[in-house]
Amino acid sequence: MRALLVICLLPLVASAGEVTGYARIAGGDFITALKYEDARGPTKVAPFDIMRRPVTNAEFLAFVTRNPAWRRDRVAPVFAGPDYLAHWPAPARLSPDGLGGQPVTRVSWYAANAYCEEQGARLPRWFEWEYVAAADETRRDARRDPAWRERILGWYARPSSRSLPRSGAQAANAYGVRDLHGVVWEWTDDYSALLVSGDNRNQGDPDRTQFCGAGALSIDDRENYAVLMRVAMLSSLGGSDTTMNLGFRCVREVR
Amino acid sequence: MKRLVSLLPFVFVFVLAGCDRAQRAPDAGAAIPAQVTTGGSKGGDFGPPQGEPVKAVLTSPPFVPPATGRTQPAKVIVELEVIEKEMAISEGVRYMFWTFGGTVPGSFIRVRQGDTVEFHLKNAPDSKMPHNIDLHGVTGPGGGAASSFTAPGHASRFTFKALNAGLYVYHCATAPVGMHVANGMYGLILIEPPQGLSKVDREYYVMQGDFYTVGKYREKGLQGFSMEKAIDEHPTYVLFNGGEGALTGEKALTAKTGESVRLYVGNGGPNLVSSFHVIGEIFDKVWYEGGTHFQENVQTTLIPAGGAAMMEFHVEVPGSYVLVDHSIFRAFNKGAVAILKAEGPEVAAIYSGKEVDEMYLGDRAQPNLAAVANAARSAKAGALTLDEQIKAGQALFAGTCSTCHQGNGQGLPGVFPPLAKSDYFAKDPTRIVDVVLRGLSGTVKVNGQAYDSVMPPMSQLTDDEAANIATYVLNSWGNPGGRVSSDEVAKRRKEAPVAAAAPH
Amino acid sequence: MKRLMLLLSFVAAFAAPAAAESTKPPLPRDSVYQLAAYFTDAQSRRFAWNAKRGQPQLVSMFYTSCKFVCPMIVDGGKAIEQSLSAAERERLGVTLISLDPARDTPAVLLRMRQDRDLDPVRWTLARPQPQDVRAIAGLLGIRYRALADGEFNHTTVLVLLDADGRVIARTEHVGGLPDPVFLAAVRRTLVP
Repeated sequence: MRALLVICLLPLVASAGEVTGYARIAGGDFITALKYEDARGPTKVAPFDIMRRPVTNAEFLAFVTRNPAWRRDRVAPVFAGPDYLAHWPAPARLSPDGLGGQPVTRVSWYAANAYCEEQGARLPRWFEWEYVAAADETRRDARRDPAWRERILGWYARPSSRSLPRSGAQAANAYGVRDLHGVVWEWTDDYSALLVSGDNRNQGDPDRTQFCGAGALSIDDRENYAVLMRVAMLSSLGGSDTTMNLGFRCVREVR
Repeated sequence: MKRLVSLLPFVFVFVLAGCDRAQRAPDAGAAIPAQVTTGGSKGGDFGPPQGEPVKAVLTSPPFVPPATGRTQPAKVIVELEVIEKEMAISEGVRYMFWTFGGTVPGSFIRVRQGDTVEFHLKNAPDSKMPHNIDLHGVTGPGGGAASSFTAPGHASRFTFKALNAGLYVYHCATAPVGMHVANGMYGLILIEPPQGLSKVDREYYVMQGDFYTVGKYREKGLQGFSMEKAIDEHPTYVLFNGGEGALTGEKALTAKTGESVRLYVGNGGPNLVSSFHVIGEIFDKVWYEGGTHFQENVQTTLIPAGGAAMMEFHVEVPGSYVLVDHSIFRAFNKGAVAILKAEGPEVAAIYSGKEVDEMYLGDRAQPNLAAVANAARSAKAGALTLDEQIKAGQALFAGTCSTCHQGNGQGLPGVFPPLAKSDYFAKDPTRIVDVVLRGLSGTVKVNGQAYDSVMPPMSQLTDDEAANIATYVLNSWGNPGGRVSSDEVAKRRKEAPVAAAAPH
Repeated sequence: MKRLMLLLSFVAAFAAPAAAESTKPPLPRDSVYQLAAYFTDAQSRRFAWNAKRGQPQLVSMFYTSCKFVCPMIVDGGKAIEQSLSAAERERLGVTLISLDPARDTPAVLLRMRQDRDLDPVRWTLARPQPQDVRAIAGLLGIRYRALADGEFNHTTVLVLLDADGRVIARTEHVGGLPDPVFLAAVRRTLVP
């Protein structure tokens, strides 16, 4: 029965992926928008492979089918909150209305991490994600362009009730990677490394006992509010949290 | 006497010096009379809460919760939900607002000084962003912001004691703060003084905010937030209560004459300072900046961004009172307008409405008015002569008729018929009264030429004036002559009443 | 004396897991022990996290070269212990998990335990597997970041787990006098 299910799902998986697989990112020096006290000079981003588009509902269903411990009716609550995969009609079934091709949401960090590990991959680190997301369709670093920033901000104006587009539907950026902006928030491996105080206006206020040692993170580039908002979002989450706007993609080490 | 007078200045100086001495700065050690103070936060702790916990009544704007009526500190539970929702910002223009309690401004919170507030902040599961809250009435880090950072689908809780009375702004303080505020995340919390506020008939909640959209003012469709405009402080809209028309028309604030009105007015910003004014009213009292002391008899009060003010006034006469930001282009070009509609009987002694609307001929007619006045006097005395009528009519003709028919009665060929040597009047001189009173339209042949214009009725003329003008015309430029009395005019007017027309 | 203590701890180390595996109801779904994590302690003994099941635990995360707040975490744990009766103290375990498994080897952990004079029976200094650190931190609600110089930024918190590994209470008030609310929770959890 399970085999039948997987075979039935193959077309769904394949159709969502004219865009599939990973893109090779050569890496290099990178000026991050985040300001850490201990940072000396630009951040060095080592080469890595990143999924061209976010993981879809269909792909995640296949994972859940292979690993029933991650079904929403079986997963331990410490790993996934009550809304985990709540938008699926059943714990191991999707409705045939295009849901399969959309980026999977309502997944926790633990679930996303388990998916990537099964693939021999992992979640991206924040700098890896930021590095690839700095690009627009033609430039590798479009962050200085006000028009690019306004486009990103436009996403926040759209209500969440509208259904998500098909994963991979956007034009590819200069690295060949899609949907980094304007579709869903994405988990990073080190989501809990974004040590932002609950009141971000205290930037520079050295309440050092809050975060053992150096003070909390400041945002260096105040105009890069797209980054600001992602950091604020990730820093508000715990590992078992899910939201209807939060999905993920995986990254593979380059040997 | 002269000597005494010359001494006067010196005397005066001495007297002044004496006065001056009394008014010099007090010597060190002399007590300056103390200002009345409330003791600040240090004196604001009235001890632990008494009695059962109370659930705070929150209201949506423009309404205000009732007075707490408490005399002891209580534990008050406040539950406020953050909802991101799309609403109309102007007719045909939609905007994605981020709200406290589903409205812009957010729900009004009312507690009493000394209360312990247990604050629950919930963030709706479909929110895109985490949010928190900074209440300006909180003494503590971030005003609560540090302790209320809440992810979508979560709720957080913190507790504070309201140590200072006053009217305070609250707002979201999640990065980027300006954007959260610009999207409508602000509201007011009133911390009543221990003795409460005096009773008034109406209390209303109004909050000004500036909004920044990518599109122009009133450009239709779903508009996004423009960070560029926000940083440059060039708002697209400046609004009361989050939308154009939020407080106008059917949604205007209401009151009755004879009532006392108190406004709780906040300014969420994010950028602009408000020059708040109610057209047609004076604020009897303004608790400037939402503090403890009031000023009296204020026309326009400043409300800083992130600040508030409370004002009271009494409604005497009915009408529409317009609330504006008196940086006036904001009111008429960006939407900063709200209405308080007061109903009740007119009180002419206080405000009469328009009493007179009469002709004002200005300097040009000055010398000729004497003739008109003269004729009027004579008519009153019953001794009006033809000559007086003609002279008066000439003066009036110059001001009223000559525009079209020209000073010499020639008219305008093809457009306005001539009055000079007019065969129209020669045929029947009595026609002139009807023409003056009722105007003339349709085709008419005068002196061999056809005219098809519209002459409006000269209904603004009194009987005297019409009679004098008619008499003048009949006796000028080769017309047959004759005389028209004001009685005849009155009679004609009564026989066939004329509808009022626009002034000629 | 030291040898006796060593022997006793040796016996205890074996006894505790054995007791844990007997007729125990299934592990609650909201227990942190749902995570199949393995540790090495200061004596180089390998153990599964759920081996701690059966005894309430005070848990935190630290690293040995931390000079700033981490010593306060140890003080905080000690302060809680001092505030308990002898009987209560015996029923509570303290587990400090390293954020820095690369450098906090068993030898380093042992040295720290000796330096801070920590009871080897009640206190466990645990070195996790590198791939588990983020997951463990997430379950405990601890946030951390590795700095360029090998130090860590991390939130400072003491977490109280009941005998089944459920999070009962947390306090960020660490060092000096114990947080009274947290202490009360500890006492309640230790009631047999």
